[in-house]
Formats: sequence, C-alpha cells, structure tokens
Amino acid sequence: MNYLTRRLIHGIMLLIGASILCFLFADFAPGSFFDEIKLNPQISPETVAALRSRYGLDQPMPVRYVRWAKSVFRGEWGYSFAYNAPVRSLLAVRAGNTLLLTGVATFLAWLIAVPWGIWIAAHPGRGIDRLSMGSTSVLLSVPELVLALGLLYLVVRTHALPVGGMVSLRFDQLGRWSKIRDLATHLVIPVTTLVLANLPIILRHVRSSMMEVLKAPFIQAARGHGISKASLLFHYALPAAANPLISLFGFSMGGLLSGSLLVEVVTGWPGLGPLLLEATMSRDLYVVVGVVMSSTLFMILGNLLADAMLLAADPRVRMQ
Amino acid sequence: MRRLAWLAALVLVLGSNSLARSSPQPAQSDEELQITDGEVGRYGGSLVVGQAAEPKTLNPVTAADVRSREVIGRMMADLIHINRDSQRTEPALAKSWAASRDGRVFTLKLRRGLRFSDDQPFDADDVVFSFQVYLDEKIHSPQRDLLIVGGKPIAVQKIDSYTVRFTLAQPYAAAERIFDSLAMLPRHLLEKAYQENRFTQVWNINESPAALAGMGPFRLKHYVPGQRVVLERNPYFWKMDQKRQRLPYLDELVFLFVGNEEAQVIRFQAGDTAIMNRVNAENYILLSRDAQNGGYGLFDLGPSLEYNFLLFNLNDAKASRANRPAWFSDLRFRQAVSSAIDREGIVKLVYAGRAVPLWGNVSPSNQLWVNQSLPHPARSLEHARELLKAAGFSWRGDGRLMDGKSQTVEFSIIVSSSNNQRTKIATIIQDDLSKLGMDVHVVPLEFRALLDRVFQTFDYDAAIMGLGGGDADPNPEMNVWLSSGSTHLWHLGETKPATDWEAQLDQLMQQQMVELKYDRRKRLYDQAQQVIAANLPYVFLATPNILVGARKNLANFKPAVLEPNTLWNVEQLYFREGSGATAGAKP
Repeated sequence: MNYLTRRLIHGIMLLIGASILCFLFADFAPGSFFDEIKLNPQISPETVAALRSRYGLDQPMPVRYVRWAKSVFRGEWGYSFAYNAPVRSLLAVRAGNTLLLTGVATFLAWLIAVPWGIWIAAHPGRGIDRLSMGSTSVLLSVPELVLALGLLYLVVRTHALPVGGMVSLRFDQLGRWSKIRDLATHLVIPVTTLVLANLPIILRHVRSSMMEVLKAPFIQAARGHGISKASLLFHYALPAAANPLISLFGFSMGGLLSGSLLVEVVTGWPGLGPLLLEATMSRDLYVVVGVVMSSTLFMILGNLLADAMLLAADPRVRMQ
Repeated sequence: MRRLAWLAALVLVLGSNSLARSSPQPAQSDEELQITDGEVGRYGGSLVVGQAAEPKTLNPVTAADVRSREVIGRMMADLIHINRDSQRTEPALAKSWAASRDGRVFTLKLRRGLRFSDDQPFDADDVVFSFQVYLDEKIHSPQRDLLIVGGKPIAVQKIDSYTVRFTLAQPYAAAERIFDSLAMLPRHLLEKAYQENRFTQVWNINESPAALAGMGPFRLKHYVPGQRVVLERNPYFWKMDQKRQRLPYLDELVFLFVGNEEAQVIRFQAGDTAIMNRVNAENYILLSRDAQNGGYGLFDLGPSLEYNFLLFNLNDAKASRANRPAWFSDLRFRQAVSSAIDREGIVKLVYAGRAVPLWGNVSPSNQLWVNQSLPHPARSLEHARELLKAAGFSWRGDGRLMDGKSQTVEFSIIVSSSNNQRTKIATIIQDDLSKLGMDVHVVPLEFRALLDRVFQTFDYDAAIMGLGGGDADPNPEMNVWLSSGSTHLWHLGETKPATDWEAQLDQLMQQQMVELKYDRRKRLYDQAQQVIAANLPYVFLATPNILVGARKNLANFKPAVLEPNTLWNVEQLYFREGSGATAGAKP
C-alpha cells in the first residue's frame, strides 16, 4: 500500500471518528430544537411531540446516526429542522461565500508573507527584521475578534467602506466591473482581518525555515561560487526550506472552510459562520454536524494535498 | 431586417409585460376592495428593513419562527384581522361575518372578485382548502391547536362561492381573533402537493417565486441565501386608498439579514435600512443622540404586552431535584421576595426608565383587559422581614436568613445568558434579597439549556423568564394559567389542581373562555388576575417599552404595541416626495 493510499484511509477513518464524536457532543448538549416552541402557550405538547417524532428526535442516538450516514450517501448531509430542507442545499451557497473570503485572504497572506519572510531572513537583526518581529508579536497576541471590531469601528467613524454584508442592495442592477468593485469593497474588512491574523504565523515560519537553510554549508558554497543573491534565495534556499512551508500551506488549505467563522459573524459575511452560530443556538443538529464535517473534510483534504506536495518535493519522503 | 423588427417587438412586449406585472392594476368594477383610512401616498421606492435572521420557510402552515412569520405575513392575508392600532378585529378577506346566538356558528362573507398575487381568483374553495390543511394532523401545523375548540376541530363548510360557515364545538369568546394571521392558501398551487403528501416540503426558502402566491400586499421577487429576501408589490392586492389607488405604494420590501441588534443599529444609522424594529433602551439612547442629523425619528410606544417574572420551581419533589428547598411553596416566602424586589430600580437601571414595573400578568398597555384595581405595593424590606418571621424564618448573628430547620436560605436563579437585560435583573434581585439575608447565586445559562431545565429536568431553584406579547386577548394564555396547561411553568404536568387557588383559577379561566359578553368576561378575567397576583406563582417584575425608529421621510408609519410592531400597515407606507433623504429607499 503506497503512502498516499495509507493517508487516504487514515483520512476516511478520521472522518468517521469525527462524525461520531460530533453526534455524541451534539447529543450531550442540553435542550433540543423544539424546546423554544414549548414556550408558545398556543402549541400543545402533543404537537411538539409529533414534530420531534417527524424528525426522528424520539429515536436513540445510534439510530439517528445511521439515518444521517445514509443521508450523507444520498448527498443530503442530513435534514435541517429549521429550514425543512436537506443540509447540503444550505451549505452549498454559504460554503461558496466562505471559500471566496478565505481564498482571497489566504492568497494575499501567502503573497505578502513569502517574499517578506525571505527578505527579513536574508537580513537578520536589522531594523526591518526587528520591526517585523515586533509587529507580528503584537498581531499574534490580538484575537481576530478584536481586529475585526477595531476595523469595523474605524469604518463606522469614517464611512469609508460598507459596514457589513457581502454586496450592496443594488448589486443586481450594477454592471460587471461595478459588481466586482462592490464585492471588493465589502471584502476589505473581513479579508484584512484574516490577513492580519494569518500573516504573522506564515511570516515567522518562512523566516525561520529560510534562516536555517541560509546557514547550511551548501548555501555558503553557492555563495562562494559567486551566485547572485536573488538566485541564491529563490533557486537554492527556498526549495530547501519548502518542507515546513508545504505543511503549513496544507494547513491553510484545510482551514479554508473553518478559519473565518468568527470573522464572518462579526462582519456579517453570509458564509458558514453565521449559519453555524444560529444552528448551534437553535440546536439544528444536522446543520451543526454538516458544517463541522465539511470543515473536517477540508482539513483532511488540505493535509492530503500537503502530503502529496511533500511527496513530489522531497525525495526523502518517497524513499520512506 | 424583418427578423430584427420582430425581435425588437418581442423585447418590447416582454419588457412591458414584466413592468406591468408588478405595477398596481386598476380596480375592476366587480372587485370588492377595502378602502383604507391612511394618508393618501405616492407610488415607488424600496423599503429596506433589517432582520436578525433569515426566514426558515415561506410556508405559512409549517412556519414556527418569528422571522419566517414576519416575511410570510407581508405576503399573505387572513379572513378577519386584528387591527394592531385599535387591537380590535376588522374585516379582511371576509367583508363581514355573523355569529349565531349561542356563539358556536360563524358565517363569513368573502369579498368578491379578489385575486391571488398570480392573478388567479380567490373564493370559498381556497378557504375550505386552507382550513383542511391547517387542521390536518399529518401536517402538524403550529396553528392547528388554535383551531381546536372544546377538544374538537372547527368544522368548515362552503355555503356558496363567497360564503363559508365555521362551527365550533362550544362557544368561544375569542372566536373572531383566531382567524387573525391564518394565511389563506392558493388551492390551485398547493392542492397537488397536499394530495401527494408533499405539503411540508413546498414553499421552502429556495422556492421559485412563480410557485408562490398569496393575498398579501407583496409577493416574492428573489431570495439571496444568508443576505436578503426581496418582495415586490402584489399588483392585485385588495386594498385601496381614499383616491381609489390600489395599494401598496412601495415597489419593493427588502428584508436585510443583519445579525444582532447592534449591527442593525449600525446599518440603520448608516442609512442602509429605513426601519429599526424594536431596540433595547441602551441602543435607543445611542440612536437618540444622532436622531436630528441622522434623518430618522424614534418612537417610544409605551409598555409592551410581555411580562418578565421570577419563577420558583414548585414542581413535585419526585420529578424535581430531591433536595429542592420547601420555602418556595410557602406563599409568605414568595410574598417576602416580591416585597423586597426594587421594581423601580429594575426599570431605571435595566431599562433606563423605558419600562414599567409589574404586579400582575397583564401589561398596563392592554387597556381592554388589565385589572386596574390590582394593588401596587411599594417596596418594603420591613414588610418582607415580617412575612418571613411569620413563616418561621429567623436571622443568624451575621445577618444570614435561616429557615425553621436552621438551614441557611441559599438558592440559585437561572437566566438566559443571551438576554443581557434579564441577567441584569437577576443581579439586582440578588442584591435586593441579600438585604434579607438570602444568599442568591445568579447562573446565566444558554437559552435552550435553561428551557431544558424548566421543561424537562426541573433541575433549578428559580428562573427569570418572560411570556406574553402575542395578542391582547386572554385566551392565548390559557395554557399558562390552567393547571393542566403546557406552559404552567411553576408546576408542569399537574393532572388536577395542586392547590385550591389553582382550582379557582382553572374555573375562572374556563368560564371567561366561553363567556361571550365582554363585561362579564372582563369581570371573570379581573378575578383571575386577582388570584394570580395574590398567590404569586410568578413574581412579576417589569415590562419593557416598545422602542422603534424610522426614517423621517417614511409616511403613514404608525408603530403599534401588537406584533408586528412596525410593518403591520406596510401597504400604506410610502416615501414622501422631495424629502431629499433616500436612506433605505430607492428613489
């Protein structure tokens, strides 16, 4: 059995395990979706019991789990009590919005962090390096939530950008370029928050990996052969420093569906975050399980991607 | 060239059709339209309203959540409607009705010539079909229980195309009011799904606009998941203004999903939305600072119909936690707690003065039913101490209160962690009761965890909750006060009244339910309020005022105490000409 097949089987086992745990934890949580209806004096307990029965909530947990697993194979991912609709249809649109946000933010974070990290690794101890390390320390200590709230506060005071949502109300009436501009202006706050939250981690990884490689004898030898600095950094040092960065990149890919949930809630981005929050609060069990499982799936796929990239990039992994 | 001309003609025809589809249709001579008494307005504009969450369904029969009902209510209409301003019933799709002498039979005359929003006629068959669906046990509509009177479903019979007869198993005092908010369904669109047992799956939130039709002022235009739902004018709506212009005036009504109240305030201040539907006192004060320059007005409508209360767990010890203290069952203990609570302090500190203290279950804004003679005793720690002494309590040297078995009085109050106001109330009560030597712990719980303890496990000492707010009539509250009621929270699942006063309350509530004369019914309900206030199953605390806001250029805006507070007359709302400010409005 080759390396990737083994990793794939591990991934599937992990998915099954995560789904069982997710069901167990959701079952442990006190209260159910239909509890709030009980507060309505005009609805009888018989009606509440009938509704619970319709959605199988009167069944034991293993029976519900098997039903849910069957619905996953049918492509429905369970059934939402609140929306009275398959979970997949709810997740599809919102996952697209989340991927747009996290995709842009991840791309920008890597685009900025890699050259910046290489640059400061090549100039250790200088002013720019110290400034970068200091500012990233501050950013690492500030929670995403505070970053988002701070940016929102600035926007509310200055009226410089839209204060929430994904597009303007008149989006449908705009031309193609105006639509792109409208979407871009709405992306600014959540993307900036996510970039500021992720950039320090990537930057520090790039810097430390590069600094380690730049001390290696083969780089000293290459330098002695008179190879230009740019070529030394990008053609020799960067490939050698790639392994930990590939793992981190896989982790970034894995977090595409789950990395922005809190920011989405704060900035009113219509992704999976607000859906998960509302479903958790209302105990819409299968929506919660659906969001968690899709995030887990992405995490596993991201790690698989990293493994595949490592396999391609590093002959030592192939040897193992 | 000829092809081009045909194409141009086709585009013109299609274009004019799509415009005509949502523009108001001229009134036909055979249409029995209702004339409204609001200020005559002008057509146009798009009203944007912030909403905390998106609707979960557009199916009026299965919808159980407030957000869905808010949207559905603007697309649907009922036979008899409760006017949110006067709080009395008025004709809607039924132009008139007559009740039999014994109050069991209601004959409703429908307006003639009306059409659904898809241009299909409305008649008695739609009414009979609608009630058939609501009453169907397999559908489990949350409204079904409303239509069971005296243990039997209401019988619905078509007399002719525009006359329907409703027969009740027993007289029912609020019979006219049960028609309110029961949306009439288009049989031509839904009968097939109903016969194929697919009814609960239709009209979900992703439904195509063409598959939906109603009798309300608006109809579905499009829905963007997680962002907004856009409604457009129903060109066949059955109301018109004094100038015989068909309503509604607005081209579009947009529900923008904004999340929490704070985000809604920001969007309202930024001019993204035109109506702020209920804010808390803190946000009201925040908004009032900028009201002059912000182009909006704020309205304090006075106390709402809801009541917040402290609930003691009086459930049977077997069903409840074994070590639950017995003090709660002692009326003098509950009276002492009530006497020690600083209700005025709650009004000032929690609601910034925008609330009223309560000593009974009916809000003072419910002028038809409130018992004005209920006593409003001032806060008195002295009186509270006397009551406790009389009940066998005493004080230790350090001031701690002890019961007759020398056990210190210590208990917890659970409260919803997502409701800041109730959490603040709990801390004020904690402080008030500490002055009597009681050791009270406030335990904020996630809302459903709280409900689980109150309804399922009974694992709590006391809780702060709120009820009411729906209708002004007493009957929706039957299940709260009847000992067998499903929301008889202090003691759930009673098979027979546990106390004499509960038996008396049962009798009074049953009597008022079937009494058809208002005066006699009021007397019975006054007595019921006296029994409740005297025995304190709930220690009533306060009811917050209803606080709303709207753009100044929005005319005919008449917010009401009854829900929906701001959009109940949405068909009459319009944007004033030349008002400049177009916030929340498409000019």
